[in-house]
Amino acid sequence: MEPVVTAIRQVPLEHYVALSFILFSIGLTGALFRRNTIIILMCLELMFNSVNLLLTAFSAHHSDPGGQVFVFFTMLVAAAEVTVGLAILVMMKRNVDSVDINQLNRLKG
Amino acid sequence: MSALILTSVLGVVLLYLGLSGNKSILAPTAIVGLVAAGVMSWTGWNPGLMEFPTMLKFDQMSTLFNCAMIAVTVLLFLFGIDYYRRMEENVAEHYALMVFSLTGALILTSYTNLLMLFLGIEILSIPLYILAGGKKRSYRSSEASFKYFLLGSFATAFFLMGIALIYGVTASFDLAVIGQKVQAAPNNVLFLLGAFFVSIALSFKVGAVPFHFWSPDVYEGAPTLVTAFMATVVKTAAFAGFYRFLQMTAMPPALSDTLLVITILTLFLGNVVAMRQSQFKRLMAYSSIAHTGFLLMAVLANSAMSWSTLFYYTFTYALATVGLFIVLTLAKRAANGNEAIVIFRGLFRANPWLALVTMLLLLSLAGIPLTAGFVAKYQVFMLAIGAGFIKTAVFAVFMALVGIYYYVLVIREAFTPAEETPVLVVSPINWLVVSACGVAVVAFALWPVLVG
Repeated sequence: MEPVVTAIRQVPLEHYVALSFILFSIGLTGALFRRNTIIILMCLELMFNSVNLLLTAFSAHHSDPGGQVFVFFTMLVAAAEVTVGLAILVMMKRNVDSVDINQLNRLKG
Repeated sequence: MSALILTSVLGVVLLYLGLSGNKSILAPTAIVGLVAAGVMSWTGWNPGLMEFPTMLKFDQMSTLFNCAMIAVTVLLFLFGIDYYRRMEENVAEHYALMVFSLTGALILTSYTNLLMLFLGIEILSIPLYILAGGKKRSYRSSEASFKYFLLGSFATAFFLMGIALIYGVTASFDLAVIGQKVQAAPNNVLFLLGAFFVSIALSFKVGAVPFHFWSPDVYEGAPTLVTAFMATVVKTAAFAGFYRFLQMTAMPPALSDTLLVITILTLFLGNVVAMRQSQFKRLMAYSSIAHTGFLLMAVLANSAMSWSTLFYYTFTYALATVGLFIVLTLAKRAANGNEAIVIFRGLFRANPWLALVTMLLLLSLAGIPLTAGFVAKYQVFMLAIGAGFIKTAVFAVFMALVGIYYYVLVIREAFTPAEETPVLVVSPINWLVVSACGVAVVAFALWPVLVG
């Protein structure tokens, strides 16, 4: 176990930041361009989790536990948000019998 | 602090009362609880009192904002007695979710830590996603709910990214500590990016252009009472949160310029697009975007006194909006669910007093002298000029003149005689609330001292 921990500690902070940004961008692109609402929800989750990774990396870098505590709050809130989101999705499905986002076009003006 | 605890407990109590199946006790309980919370908030005022050890600060600003938001919610619940009478199921959940949302709003006015800002925004938003879909079997309502949810979560992701970047630079979530560290190195790119992301997310919440596109759809699709709640309490809380965030440090020029562009776009698009609307709720949505533009000017001026202007503006705007949405609901019932502006035709002949109050409320939104809307706009312009945004202020005055057009359009409908004038059924409580709103917008204009 010990060699793994030392190996992880040698990863520079920039790599974590870069990885977070890449994951965030993938999530962002997916949320903007995918048409299936369930995939969009997954992309939103990816964006949240990339932020969690970033917060943890900064927290370890600064030796400050605040960032890791924040991650717990983020996970909690993201779970609550997705619960509500899936419920709304089920309601949509019952009304239009589809999960395609292109169905969301009746409110116009 | 006790007000915050009381509102969160009140929500749970309301949920349990819903199990009893007796709808008529819900609104009185909610109103009594909120009045108690308002009194606690008022008497608990203590300059610089910190709670949780330093995450919330209850100062003069948060006390006034909290009391105003609680008062507006009480007005909405009084209207709710009549509004929810026709609804068979889930009435308790509606009241409870609105109270939970209000709890988030109370946190947003008093946070001093980014964690509390995040929790406040989420506690404010998540109940709203559900409330927007309050009419379960209506397609429009569920579409509004889903759109609001998707764009809201999207904004939350940006918001979290911004917080993470700010944390990466300063190693703290506390606004005071962040302010000090940024003062030492004001042009850190990561910090600017973080502040920029957080500002984008907050612009989403207040409905500023180009992040406004959800608001007309959501306003139109959501149940009218929820729309009124979103246009008043939610907007007030979001602006209080925005102001507190930008107050933490002297605003970097890059951020200030971006916000200036957003302000100008918001003023222009809100007012110009509102002129072309024929549905009343969409008109109110664009009018609310236009008001966001004026409020952003006050935020942008970023002086220590901006908050009192923000408070006066949001409170008087909220009073006028609540009154108008009640009148809309009454007129809509007489017109079999139609929400176009033409349903106001003949209102003066049918209900002269209601038509006069409607006129007052619309004039206040337009900012005609002798109404509170004028005093509010005047204060914003003075603030902007004092901060050196003279060109923006001139542009905003011009846009305010454009804005008068579409409000007068509605007033003209109300005073045009119609072939048949259905008399609106107005319950005594609704009459009282609408009249109180009408009297208040004039009273607050004559004695601005009254509200600070």
